[in-house]
Amino acid sequence: MSGRTSREPVAVVGIGQTKHAAARRDVSLAGLVREAARRALDDAQLSWADMDAVVLGKAPDFFEGVMMPELYLADALGAAGKPVLRVHTAGSVGGSTALVAADLVAARVQRTVLAVAFEKQSESNAMWGLSLPVPFQQPLLAGAGGFFAPHVRAYIRRSGAPGGVGALVAYKDRRNALRNPWAHVHEHGITLERVQSSPMLWDPIRYSETCPSSDGACAVVLTDRAGAARAPHPPAWVHGGAMRSEPTLFAGKDFVSPRAGRDCAAEVYRQAGITDPRRELDVAELYVPFSWYEPMWLENLGFAAEGEGWKLTASGATELGGELPVNPSGGVLSTNPIGASGLIRFAEAALQVRGRAGEHQVDGARKALGHAYGGGAQFFSMWVVGDRPPTT
Amino acid sequence: MPEILTAPLTVSFPFTRSLGPVQSAFLTGLRERTVLGVRTTDGRILVPPVEYDPVTAEEIRDLAEVAPTGTVTTWAWNPAPRDNQPLRTPFAWVLVRLDGADTALLHVLDAPGPHAVRTGMRVRIRWAPERTGAITDIGCFEPYEGEERAGPAVPHDGVFDDPVTGIVTPARLDYTYTPGRALSRHLAALAEHRITGERCPSCRKVHVPPRGVCPTCGVPTTEQTQVGPHGTVTTFCVVNIKARGAGIEVPYVYAHIALDGADLALHARIGGIPYDEVRMGMRVAPVWTGDARHPDHYRPTGEPDAGYDTYKELL
Repeated sequence: MSGRTSREPVAVVGIGQTKHAAARRDVSLAGLVREAARRALDDAQLSWADMDAVVLGKAPDFFEGVMMPELYLADALGAAGKPVLRVHTAGSVGGSTALVAADLVAARVQRTVLAVAFEKQSESNAMWGLSLPVPFQQPLLAGAGGFFAPHVRAYIRRSGAPGGVGALVAYKDRRNALRNPWAHVHEHGITLERVQSSPMLWDPIRYSETCPSSDGACAVVLTDRAGAARAPHPPAWVHGGAMRSEPTLFAGKDFVSPRAGRDCAAEVYRQAGITDPRRELDVAELYVPFSWYEPMWLENLGFAAEGEGWKLTASGATELGGELPVNPSGGVLSTNPIGASGLIRFAEAALQVRGRAGEHQVDGARKALGHAYGGGAQFFSMWVVGDRPPTT
Repeated sequence: MPEILTAPLTVSFPFTRSLGPVQSAFLTGLRERTVLGVRTTDGRILVPPVEYDPVTAEEIRDLAEVAPTGTVTTWAWNPAPRDNQPLRTPFAWVLVRLDGADTALLHVLDAPGPHAVRTGMRVRIRWAPERTGAITDIGCFEPYEGEERAGPAVPHDGVFDDPVTGIVTPARLDYTYTPGRALSRHLAALAEHRITGERCPSCRKVHVPPRGVCPTCGVPTTEQTQVGPHGTVTTFCVVNIKARGAGIEVPYVYAHIALDGADLALHARIGGIPYDEVRMGMRVAPVWTGDARHPDHYRPTGEPDAGYDTYKELL
């Protein structure tokens, strides 16, 4: 712990996101990131000039076909005369972006940093971007969900979970999204029966259990103790942050519960002084692109013993109002601008401990986990935020 | 040692762009032979216009019309135009500061040779005959004898009938791809209907397909080993929607298959059995068709299913 005492405490004092939608044809890429960044500055009551650096994250450049978008977006993000960093760690990039920005503050390199992540999926086709026609290889045969569905089946086999748990997750997250004005999918009148009877796309994954393709951006303002003291609204404090990586494919890889995810969670809990995450964390925003990843991550992240995650979900514990609400924002299942999705998880965790989550606020939330992963379960990034400054 | 394979890889896609208010006015203006710039907080006119002030970061929306004539601020001769460049004949890349603007626009100048181009020369827009609301509506620049137009840019509301709000920007990248030595060996064996992997000298795990290195230990793999041809379905999904460009009828089974002797599963389609009869643990073998290098699919062998314990570590 002594290693952390020399670090500057980091506070989240501004949070903004766009209205997420299948296609935001009303804005350019610049206009999209600007919308989120402007809202984050407004929340913090700060100006562009108050930002000492800008950290920008997004998923592969092929998703929009703009190489090095940080060059083109420097104007829109007020980066003239300041350091700009671009982060890319596939689907986990939103989380990694926040952590890179937080480290700049923690290391006292900068005092106040703007972190922004985005994706404008409507400008291209992510599935195309991920399946380039590499010579001598057989093309990917199964589409987007085909990568994930076999791992879900493996989880069901390993845990003995009954078949309907995934539908419960989708029903919960889509209902939560109705409380979140920024969410992409607002499925009014949703019922469990409707989820259960939606088309089976990649058996065992149904249509209603898949994430949408979204345009959107998210931004956070991170600052030091002095900045937090001036903040107009209660800040969220970063109690721990960690990233871990492993190859996408290797002999011994556990796709159901990747080691990089377990190790990343262990490190972030160690930093935050958490020994019993289920008891000590009040809410979790987890990167759940397909419904069954909720019980899978509950185990991977230590909220449930191996094989027990589905029981936590089935008990209703992860519902808004349950013992451990998961994805009160509606999650990735309701909003998925890929590059931004991780930062939205981190930002929603911070909103909860700031008490500023509105209709999807978890009563009395004081500590929250933000989680992101990507690249075929290759990259993981997580942070724990609290309503009080870290004590170590 | 078989030859190391190599092949062209072309990546191309018609990306779309939502323009937003400023680029929409700029490109629609070009269609109407009107060049618009934007006024910055400190009063300069930027052409082409941007949405946010490069200095103050403030949103800027005050548009102004500049002249179709201007001055070359610098240039470079292009002796060999490539496909999709604005002119087929050799031309100069030029930065042109249009009269009334404070910044220069990148475009091309139609000139007989580099001897006819100089910094400071006067040029004017040659409009494309067919204009759609794109930067190519400026066909190119051409030499012009007139003096610089006096006076500032004229304020413009940026409003046109039938505005262009989105464009398509096709992108294309041409690579030469080589899979390298290890994969070339594997692919050469596949062409002979043999499936090979490579064993790590440190952890002894067999990777299929091999990459010449153990991703866990980080050491080169050199020991070839033949795996399969039989294997076990470790897990799978039933695909009910057609993937883009795939010619396979749905539903079909997309499976992870651990070939005998391999320490990780590869991915392939299962055939020769109704999709709803495929099971975890089912034993399968590859089926090659025609002169394809890769197996078309895997079929059941009829062997008894493998026990869960024999493949659970491969999930």
